[in-house]
Amino acid sequence: MTPAKERYICANCGYIYDPAVGDPMNAIPPGVEFAELPDEWVCPMCYATKEQFDPLD
Amino acid sequence: MKPSVASLYQAVELQQEIPPLLIGERANANGSKKFRELLLADDYQACVKVALEQEARGAHVIDLCTAYAGRDELADLTTLVRLCAGALKAPLMIDSTTPACIKACLRLYPGRAIVNSINLEDGGVNIRRICRAAKKYGAAVVALTIDEKGMAMTAAEKVRIARAIHAIAVDEYGLRSRDLLFDCLTFTVGSGDANLRDAAVQTLEAIRRIKAELPGCLTVLGVSNISFGLAPQARRILNSVFLHEAVAAGLDAAIVDAAKIVPLARIPAEDREVCLDLLYNRQGEEVKDPLLRFIAHFSDKAATPAEDGQEGDSKPEEQLFQMVMDGDKEQLEDVLAILRQRFRPIDIINQILVPAMRHVGELFGKGEILLPFVLQSAEVMKASVTLLEPFMDKAEGTAATTVLLATVQGDVHDIGKNLVDIILSNNGYLVHNIGIKVPAETIIEKAREVRADLIGLSGLLVKSAIIMQESMAQYREAGLTVPILLGGAALTPKFVAESCVPQYDAPVVYCADAFAGLKAVQEFEAGTLTATVYDGATAVKAMKPGIRVAEIDRTNPVPVPPFLGQRYVEDIDPAVLFSLINVEALFRGRWGYRRGKMGAGEYADLIEGTVRPLYEELQRKALAGGWIQPRVSYGYFPCRAEGDAVIVQADGAEHRFSFPRQAEAPFLCIADYFKTAGEGGDIAGFFVVTIGPKMSEETARLYQADAYHEYLLLHGFSVEVTDALAEYWHGVMRREMGIGGTQTQNALGAVTQNYQGSRYGFGYPACPDLEAHKPLFAFLKPEAIGITLTENMQMVPEQTTSAIVAHHPQAKYFAV
Repeated sequence: MTPAKERYICANCGYIYDPAVGDPMNAIPPGVEFAELPDEWVCPMCYATKEQFDPLD
Repeated sequence: MKPSVASLYQAVELQQEIPPLLIGERANANGSKKFRELLLADDYQACVKVALEQEARGAHVIDLCTAYAGRDELADLTTLVRLCAGALKAPLMIDSTTPACIKACLRLYPGRAIVNSINLEDGGVNIRRICRAAKKYGAAVVALTIDEKGMAMTAAEKVRIARAIHAIAVDEYGLRSRDLLFDCLTFTVGSGDANLRDAAVQTLEAIRRIKAELPGCLTVLGVSNISFGLAPQARRILNSVFLHEAVAAGLDAAIVDAAKIVPLARIPAEDREVCLDLLYNRQGEEVKDPLLRFIAHFSDKAATPAEDGQEGDSKPEEQLFQMVMDGDKEQLEDVLAILRQRFRPIDIINQILVPAMRHVGELFGKGEILLPFVLQSAEVMKASVTLLEPFMDKAEGTAATTVLLATVQGDVHDIGKNLVDIILSNNGYLVHNIGIKVPAETIIEKAREVRADLIGLSGLLVKSAIIMQESMAQYREAGLTVPILLGGAALTPKFVAESCVPQYDAPVVYCADAFAGLKAVQEFEAGTLTATVYDGATAVKAMKPGIRVAEIDRTNPVPVPPFLGQRYVEDIDPAVLFSLINVEALFRGRWGYRRGKMGAGEYADLIEGTVRPLYEELQRKALAGGWIQPRVSYGYFPCRAEGDAVIVQADGAEHRFSFPRQAEAPFLCIADYFKTAGEGGDIAGFFVVTIGPKMSEETARLYQADAYHEYLLLHGFSVEVTDALAEYWHGVMRREMGIGGTQTQNALGAVTQNYQGSRYGFGYPACPDLEAHKPLFAFLKPEAIGITLTENMQMVPEQTTSAIVAHHPQAKYFAV
C-alpha cells in the first residue's frame, strides 16, 4: 500500500506543499511526503518552520 | 454511646461501621440547578422529592440549602425543614451561614440535626452565634477551615484554624469535641496549577492530624472538589479513589452524590495507580507529570450516556470552572452571586478562576484548544474579576508576582505584548503594561517604581532585537537584578542565548509565545527559572529556500512606465481588497484557527460554521464603519545598479539604496535585478500603502474594553487587509508597466508569485534593514497621506507597508 499523498498548508502564508510536486525552491524532488521533509526545511515563500504547517486535505 | 444524629424516625451514627457517613448534596439551591429551579417555582413538594431520591440512593444524611439571591431564605428553609422532617427518615443537615435561619430551623426540627457550617472568615462573630444555638438545641456542627485570610491551603494552616475553632466551640460554648465535624476543604489536582499539585496530600495530612490532635472530633469533606476540570468519567474514578484514601486517613463523613461513588474493588488496579500517582503527586519515569499521565490514561474512556444527563446539574464551582473553559459569559453574574454567598471573592479567583485558566493554558500547550478560545476564556476570567472587585478589599491580591511589560524603543507593535498581558493578568499575576516605543531608561525607572519581579520586553522587527541586545548592559549598569523575558518575531533562542544572556546578570529568557511567558513566570515562582541556552550541536539550521540559478539575464527589456516621479492615490474602494485577502494566513496564522489535531471534516465545520461568519461580519463592520481608508504614495524612477546598491533619481537628486547580499550561493541581492549604467540603466517602482489610522484606533478600543477575542480578530484582519492593499497596488503597477498583463486574481496566486517581477518589502527577508525608509520617504513623501517614521524607521500607523518593485522576470522572493 502506498502512503496517502497528503498536502500541507503554511499557516503563516498559505503556501501549499504538495508531495506530487515537491519543492524546487528547497531542492525537494516530487514524491517526498511532508513528514519526510528534513527538520531544517522551511516554507519556500515565508520561511515558516514545519510545525507551522497544517494538514490540508 | 457513639456520636449520632437523628430524625423523627431514627438515629444515625456519625461514625458508620463501614465509613464514611454519606451526606447527600443535591438538595442545594447553590449546588443543583434542578433543585434551584424547583425552589424558584415554589414547588416545595418536588424539592422534598429531591431529598427523598437521595435517601433511596444510599445517603445517610441529607444536606438542605435554600440560600439564593432574591429568595427569602428563612421562609424557604423553615418550610422545607418542616416538610422534610415529616417525610425523610434520614436526619437533616441545615446548610446556611445565616445565624437567624439556623436558629429557627434547629428550634423546629424534631431530631438532632447537623449545622453546616461555621468558620472564622469574619474573625469570630457568626461562629459564636451559631455555636450558642447549636449548644441550646443540641446540634452537631460542620466547621470549615477558613479564616480571615481565606481558605486554608496547607495542612499546617488547616490544623491551626481547626484548633482555633475548637477553642471557641468547645472551651467557650461547651460543645463536645464529638459535636464537631471539621471540613478541611480540598482543591483540585486537575488544573495543573503548581500551587495545587499537593492539594490532596495537604488535605489528607490535615485529616490525619485533626483526628490525632483534637481527639474525639470528626471530619467531613466535599470529595468531588478534588477533580474539578477533568473529564466526567475520570472524575468519578478519581473521586472514588480519593474518598478511599481520605477514609483511610480518618475521614468520618463525605458530602457526595452517593450514586456516583464507585466501589474501590470495581476500579481496575491500573486506573487506581494512575489516580494515586496524581493524588500523591508522584513523578513517573516516562511521563513525569502525573496529571499528564492521568489525562492520557483516561482520554480513551468516554463518558457513559447515563452521566451526560446530569451535566446541567453541576455545582456552581464546577459551573464557573466550565464557563471559563467554554468561554461562556452568559449567566456569569448569577453564578458569581451564588458563589459569593459561600466564598470570598479572593477564594473564587484563586481556587476556581485561576485553576480554570491554568487548565486552559495546559490544553492549549497540548494543542487541544486554539488561541481564539483561550482568549474567550480569558474574557470570562476578566469579566468575573471585574464583577468580584467591588466586593474585595483593596489590599487583597497585592502579593501577586509583578510583571512589567513593554514594547521596546522605536517599535509600534503591541499585539504580542498585549497577548502576554492578557494571559498573565488572567492567570492571577499583576501586570504593568507600559505600552509601545518605551526607552530603556523608562523601563528601568518603572521597574523600580512598581517593584517588578520580572520584566517582559517585546518587539517585532530585527531592529528591535538589536535594541534589546544593546539595552542589556544598560539594565545591568542600572543595577536591575530581576529576570528579563524577551519575545518577538525576529528573536531566536540562539540570538537571546548568545547576544543577550551574557550582557545581563539575572536570567534572560527567550519566550516563543505568550504561554512560554506564562511558563517562565511560573518557573520564576518555583525558583527554577534559568537563562536560555543554545546548543549549536543539536540545533537545527533552517534551510534557505530560493532560486538556485545564479545567472541573471541582463538583456530583459525595460518597461515604459506611464509616468516618472511620485503620485498619491486616495480613491480606492476598500471592497476590492477583500478578494486579495489571504484567508488561509488570516484564519490559521493571525487568528490561530489551526487545524492541529482536528479531522478534515471537523475543521471544515469550524471554518464554515464559526470562522468564516466572523470574517464576513468583520468585512461588513469595516466597510460600514469606514475603518479601511486605503491611501497610496507611489512612483516610477530612473535608476541604475552599482554593486549591491540601486541609485534612484528623483526630484533632481540621487538616492542610494544599499541592499544586503546573501552570504552563500547563489549570493542573491536585490540590486542584481536592475541594470547598471553600462547596461543602459533601469526603472524602479516604489510604493508606500496604508489603510489609515482607524483600524489602530478600533483595535485599541477593543483591547481597552477587554474584548480580547475581537481584538485578536480585528488586528489580524487589519494586517491582512494591509497586505491585500500592497498586493492590489503591486498588480496596478505591473499593469501600468505592461508586464504580466492581468491583475492578480486571488491571494493564492500572490503567495506563489504567479506574475512577472517581485515586490520586496523593507524590513522583510530580502531587505531586513529599515534604513531604506530614509531615502524612500525623501521622494515618496508619504507624510502627506498621514504616514510618519519612528526613530528607528518603523512606519506609523502600524497598518502601513512599503516596497521596491522590480520588473525583472527572474526577481522572486529570497532571504539574505
